[in-house]
Amino acid sequence: MRSTGEGMKKGTGADMEKGKKKIRRFSVFRISEHWMVILTSVVLFATGLSQRFWHMESAQWFILKVGGVDNVRWVHRYAGLLFSLALILHVAVATGRVLRLKWSPSMMIRREDFRDAVHNMRYYFGLENHPARCDRYDYMEKFEYWTILVGGVLMTATGAVLWLPTLFTRFLPGEVIPAAKALHSNEALVIFLINAIWHIYNSIFSPEVFPLDTSIFTGYISRERMLREHPIELAAIEGVGLEELLKSGKKETGVVKSGPAPAPGVTG
Amino acid sequence: MGIDGGPAPWGRPMRKGTGLALCLALLLLAAGIPGAQAGEVGLSTESLKCLECHGKRGQIHRFQNDEFVEVYLNPAKYKISVHSFLSCSQCHPDFSTEHHPARRFKSRTQYRVKSAAVCRGCHTADQIKAKSVHANLLARESEGATPVCTDCHDAHSVTPVTGGRIIRSETQHCMKCHQYELFLICRNGDKVPLKVEISHSETHAHVKLRCSDCHYGFSSEEHPRRNFRSRRDYTIAASESCRRCHFDKYTKTLDSVHYTMLSQGNLKAPVCNDCHGSHAIPHITRGVKGRTMTTQKCRQCHPEIYAVYAKSVHGNALFNEQNQDVPICIDCHTAHDTENPLTLEYHEKIPQMCGNCHANPAVVSKYGLSTEVLKAYLSDFHGVTLGLYRKQREEGLYKPARPIAVCTDCHGTHNITSAVSSDPAYVKANLVKRCQKCHKDASNNFPDAWLSHYKPSLSKYPFIFIVDTAYKIFIPIMVVGLILQIFLHIWRYAVNR
Repeated sequence: MRSTGEGMKKGTGADMEKGKKKIRRFSVFRISEHWMVILTSVVLFATGLSQRFWHMESAQWFILKVGGVDNVRWVHRYAGLLFSLALILHVAVATGRVLRLKWSPSMMIRREDFRDAVHNMRYYFGLENHPARCDRYDYMEKFEYWTILVGGVLMTATGAVLWLPTLFTRFLPGEVIPAAKALHSNEALVIFLINAIWHIYNSIFSPEVFPLDTSIFTGYISRERMLREHPIELAAIEGVGLEELLKSGKKETGVVKSGPAPAPGVTG
Repeated sequence: MGIDGGPAPWGRPMRKGTGLALCLALLLLAAGIPGAQAGEVGLSTESLKCLECHGKRGQIHRFQNDEFVEVYLNPAKYKISVHSFLSCSQCHPDFSTEHHPARRFKSRTQYRVKSAAVCRGCHTADQIKAKSVHANLLARESEGATPVCTDCHDAHSVTPVTGGRIIRSETQHCMKCHQYELFLICRNGDKVPLKVEISHSETHAHVKLRCSDCHYGFSSEEHPRRNFRSRRDYTIAASESCRRCHFDKYTKTLDSVHYTMLSQGNLKAPVCNDCHGSHAIPHITRGVKGRTMTTQKCRQCHPEIYAVYAKSVHGNALFNEQNQDVPICIDCHTAHDTENPLTLEYHEKIPQMCGNCHANPAVVSKYGLSTEVLKAYLSDFHGVTLGLYRKQREEGLYKPARPIAVCTDCHGTHNITSAVSSDPAYVKANLVKRCQKCHKDASNNFPDAWLSHYKPSLSKYPFIFIVDTAYKIFIPIMVVGLILQIFLHIWRYAVNR
């Protein structure tokens, strides 16, 4: 998903990918999950942020278009409910597959992710010769994923409290309501900003993928991008060692600059 | 009044008679009686003889009830009166130069009524009725109230109602009659007192106005006849004249609940005169005295609410501490465009109304009250919803179905007590009940969801404060970090190309 444009030195994306192999990256289930998140979060952000910034003209315009704040709230609640169900399904499927089908928990945050982050920073400043070499998900993808997952759980919990305040205050103190409100609206802003700035840049405006990173919609990614962005996973898929893959990749594309070996600890 | 009316408080003889004088003179001519020039010729022998005694002061006639009257008449005035051509016996038929019978009257009133009957010998009822002011008096005759001509027209120096004196102002002209206990009789028998109580020492608001400025159509020449169903009808009609000057106030009243009631046929609804009075209309004063007086006006119709208000923290401060800061009825309800306070529209305005004082440091700071209360309310659930509902209503797109709790729902309306001095447990118990009106299954914990107008801080609601502060610090750092990463990425990409 991410590289620094090294692969773009020769030829354009269209030429490059023409005869290139495409690799299946996302299943239909993941594609559906992403669509679900897109739809629910767009609705949730529109209906939620217009409530948080209700004094703004644009927010009031939106609320009036929807037919009043009561409608906005109901839409927000049911969109939230849908999001929460998708979230629960996601966690259940992930947990089940990791436990029963012995899937590799590829989204788990590992020590390497921090190392990769530092490596990339150094690379940006010219202190490294190549960007960090990542596995199936790089640290930036994990950052977004966990933002949505942890944020989503928090939003679901606080949203439930705000939806049913009288129910929750039967066994919780009344201060829970304003606390939930503070958490809900602040966390929403965090998720919104990360998505609006980071995710939209990475999947649309980044020169690597512009005009759109289609992998989450088609399910396929080019081998060339895999080599750039997820070399460790590609090596595992093709059953070759990382070193070997990088050498051949260098030969094929002629663009990967020679540099030090992959960061220690990164395995296939 | 003596036989000869003493000089009125104002006026001297007129050179020319007014319309009334002319009218009387014409009447006399029409009756075929020799003209008024007779008076110029001189008094009759009989009259001169009578004046020998009655032209001197000091003689009295005593009635059975010990009242008395001075039997004096001013010869000079008699000479210029319209009746000077008559000799005494024409009005006093039993008397002559030879006969002077002794008369006995029970009281002065009886004497006056009897003597007034003499006038009717020449001036028939039909002639008198031609003037509407007389018509009213005659109408009362059937009820036993005999009009006494000499009350207005002097007995011997008979002149028009002006008494032959110069009328310096229209008011003086009108007051010639309206200083007396006259009544307008309505169709339902109500009596409208026509006596105008104006103390000249008093400086009332309308002191510079003439009567006809308000009593449109009336003047020293015109006195149209008016006919009202009841005294209330008269008051309502009279209030109509106020709008000729106070048009701004009048248009405001058209939007008021009082006017709505009136237009629906409820004649008890107040009109201008009910609050402002008539004739001696006092100036509106902003001081404690004026404000207290205003509450008394509302009290006339709303005594129960007044009683509750008087016991509230506001009313108590006004009446017992002469406090000028506290609101009176019209501060919330307004004086002229008084709205129906039971509507949702009015309900929505309440936070702003209370905020006029409670968010103004100049007013409430000296009482140790927080001015943050309005802000705290407006930024919370209820305040936000209320604000959006108002917006929706203004746009006319959507009618909110439910009322939102405002200041008065928790604090009370007319019975507001001090929140500071009240027992917290009592306040909370009341609050639960109030919450349950909208949130049916609210438990005892529920009211704590409302932070009692406090802004979260380290000492009050620290958890909420910490959450808010942490996000306030974290969000900008995160945004700056992400943008920096993006720029670094673009930069590296550009360098590599």
